[in-house]
Amino acid sequence: MVDDLIIGMAGSGGDGIVSAGESLIGAAAADGYFAILTKSFGSQIRGGESSCRLRVSARPVLNPGGTLDVAVVLNWEDFLRFGGELPVGPDTVVIYETKTGVEPAQIPLAEPHPSIVIAVPMEAMAMSAAGTLQAKNNVVLGLLAGWFGLARESILKGIRKKFARKGEAVLQGNERAFASGMDYAEKHPLGSARHLSPSVHTAGRHLVTDGNEMCGAAALFAGCKFFGGYPITPATEIMQYLGREIWKYGGSLLQAEDEIAGIGAAVGASFAGVKSMTATSGPGLSLKTEVLGLASVAELPLVCVNVQRGGPSTGMPTKPEQADLFAAAFSAHGDTVRPVLAPVSVADMFGITVDAFNIAEEFQTPVLVLSDQEIAQRKEIVSPVDTSTFKLVTRLEPTPQQLENYVRFRFTESGISPISHPGMKGGNYLAAGIEHNELGAPTASGEIHARMNDKRLKKMDPLKQRRDLFVFEGDVDATIGLVSWGSIAGVALEALHLARAEGIKVRLLIPKLVYPVAEEIYAEFFAPLQRCLVVEQSHQGQLYRIIRMWASSVPPQFDVLAKSGANPIPPEEVLAKIRAMARS
Amino acid sequence: MSTECPLSPEVFTTKDFRSSLKPIWCPGCGDYGVVTAIYRALTAIKRPSHEIAFISGIGCSSRIPGYTTAYGFNTVHGRALPIAQGIKMANPELLVLVAGGDGDGFSIGGGHVPHAIRRNPDLTYIVMDNQIYGLTKGQLSPTSPRGLKTASSAYGSMEDPVNPLLYVLAYGAGFVAQGVPADMEGLAKIIEEAIRYPGFAFVNIQSPCITYGDADTQLKTQKTRMRKLEAEGHDASNRLRAMELAQEYGRTLYTGVFYRNPNPPPTYDSQIRERQQNLRGKDMALEQLLRKESDEEAEVPAAC
Repeated sequence: MVDDLIIGMAGSGGDGIVSAGESLIGAAAADGYFAILTKSFGSQIRGGESSCRLRVSARPVLNPGGTLDVAVVLNWEDFLRFGGELPVGPDTVVIYETKTGVEPAQIPLAEPHPSIVIAVPMEAMAMSAAGTLQAKNNVVLGLLAGWFGLARESILKGIRKKFARKGEAVLQGNERAFASGMDYAEKHPLGSARHLSPSVHTAGRHLVTDGNEMCGAAALFAGCKFFGGYPITPATEIMQYLGREIWKYGGSLLQAEDEIAGIGAAVGASFAGVKSMTATSGPGLSLKTEVLGLASVAELPLVCVNVQRGGPSTGMPTKPEQADLFAAAFSAHGDTVRPVLAPVSVADMFGITVDAFNIAEEFQTPVLVLSDQEIAQRKEIVSPVDTSTFKLVTRLEPTPQQLENYVRFRFTESGISPISHPGMKGGNYLAAGIEHNELGAPTASGEIHARMNDKRLKKMDPLKQRRDLFVFEGDVDATIGLVSWGSIAGVALEALHLARAEGIKVRLLIPKLVYPVAEEIYAEFFAPLQRCLVVEQSHQGQLYRIIRMWASSVPPQFDVLAKSGANPIPPEEVLAKIRAMARS
Repeated sequence: MSTECPLSPEVFTTKDFRSSLKPIWCPGCGDYGVVTAIYRALTAIKRPSHEIAFISGIGCSSRIPGYTTAYGFNTVHGRALPIAQGIKMANPELLVLVAGGDGDGFSIGGGHVPHAIRRNPDLTYIVMDNQIYGLTKGQLSPTSPRGLKTASSAYGSMEDPVNPLLYVLAYGAGFVAQGVPADMEGLAKIIEEAIRYPGFAFVNIQSPCITYGDADTQLKTQKTRMRKLEAEGHDASNRLRAMELAQEYGRTLYTGVFYRNPNPPPTYDSQIRERQQNLRGKDMALEQLLRKESDEEAEVPAAC
């Protein structure tokens, strides 16, 4: 028995590989497993190559994993296009389509070949079972269920539900296709040692969802009443989700004519007094920056989600990267601080989004959420959200007494001044991008400008004490440390577990508040460390560099493992670095 | 909703809408007349100032919200319309005014105008058109006539101007008018009518720049040049005729209402309210995410 299984599958667009992956994760959820499903496509609109990788386990799954345990190859050309995204090792079980015409000893993979390579006539089996090639993916599901003991009853239940509508003949054909895969596995056994161990967390309900839907749902929970945005990969699903849902909560949504109008409308809605949001990806963030600056100077709450993809410019819209941290932290001109939050998983996206609204409202500021393509679009099995742990914050409004002589931008000790909105009698004021005095009247006074900058910057200081936005893992007395963020943090955490299993003491810091830099929290984390490695998916190592800009001191050896987007960082690679640090 | 302009028991005077801020405009600027016309129109509309949101972009004329007592938002260059639409969508009860210059509306923000118009939110967009960039000290604007020599066109403009009236008519605006500060009474009336129109209303105001503008655009020449559409017997329900007259932009100074849709279509805000009412509380996906009990059919997708 194994308690962790990584399956990679690739084929051409019509092969149904991705829907087979979705079936598997759905069945795994029904059976109480943990899992992450990532999908990867070529950039074609339709057709072209597609792949998915499913990591399923009886234990919580922290990342999509490294080397595959199982590779399903419907045709070699498509499989090989995914390169490092579907890495095959000596222990990988390779299952491929007989029709590709390659002998097991001649498969086009680097030497040494995996020890188990099996050619299966999947197309022929689909044709004989269902009379259509479309049933091929159910043959694949049968093979996987048979060889690896995966959720067979739940897969079958899924097939029945899916095809019930399509008539008895179609349903039976697909059931036969699944059964033929199971039969084939039984006749060519691999041994029960490769079976996935039963799940242990069967209690309760488990859902399959992705980061973009989580974000939309969390926004509604937080009380978001307006969304303005523009379609952009890989953020569009947030707008689509809210486009279906927000009206039900008395809110509204604008698919604007461009990115600027999208954030502009959101800022307008916030001025009008409601919680509002926009979402985009890299190129859209570049366009939105001027209005982000407006929201900062007019002190208007706003949540701006940026789902990072490969950049710069159009870059790689369907691939993950963590290279927008500079853009988020330093977006727009002038002296400003805009808080930047980063979720570490699909499940985490809920709390981070709620927190983004809370911080925006409390501090009257735009807040950026830096998601990434992986978190946004991967499917994860999650438990229902326990909302009892969340409190919701709304902006500080003026009291009736304050409205008698209302001063919108009044200097206060905290830097936060009560904010009115149109419709509130006595609260009339002028909001402006132009520098202004306490009343909101335009000014060119250097003295007032300095005081206003001070107000707008100082009010963010309490954020840097938010220890709940930082995760500490591992050994308190370790001298080796890791720092990682976003979807890559799950890789670092797994590497930490692996290292500790080898007896190496390691500590890990995961900042979910990635900007402003919480100097004190880093100082405390760094203090006992001799060596520290920042692990992130950008060429420059943007978090590493931002920490260096602010941290008063860093460990004697302070390095970064930085890789450009779309190049997976497997836990084993981080483990190797930890071992090297332990030796040095 | 603002279109119904419910009568307030209160009595308003222009003082209720005039703020204490002193305009930065040059003496003799047409915008003084525009803001006065707006005070008068708002006095007639009888909505208290806290129910009015006045949004602008950047430029001399975009300072205008600060000179009123309404909730003002002096935003960034060219983005007044999207921001105003967000305000109106978030709170349809507000009376929303948008203002800016010709550069704000037809150059940097030109891409937003057709989209605001096709959505048809119930707001009024006032452009103070002076054919020049005044705040940056006299460069070409999108409505500058061909051949105009300015600080940025030493040898004369080689471009044709845009025609704001023809643009917005072609985009489908339901209310299109033009006014001049020289005719204060007429201008106040036009703005009032624009506010009362249930839907997107556009008012182009030939508001001369005293410092960088042409001599023949100034207030005193407006009085002799202007031709009132009403006096010429124009039927404002005739959109094609309105477009014909609009082609005279830059040559003949027509004032009054070019076009008023006699059958105003539903506004964007009314459609939003309707959708919210129809969908309120139905099949909420968030509840699925929060629900802890098992629902056996729920989430087992299958291959297709």
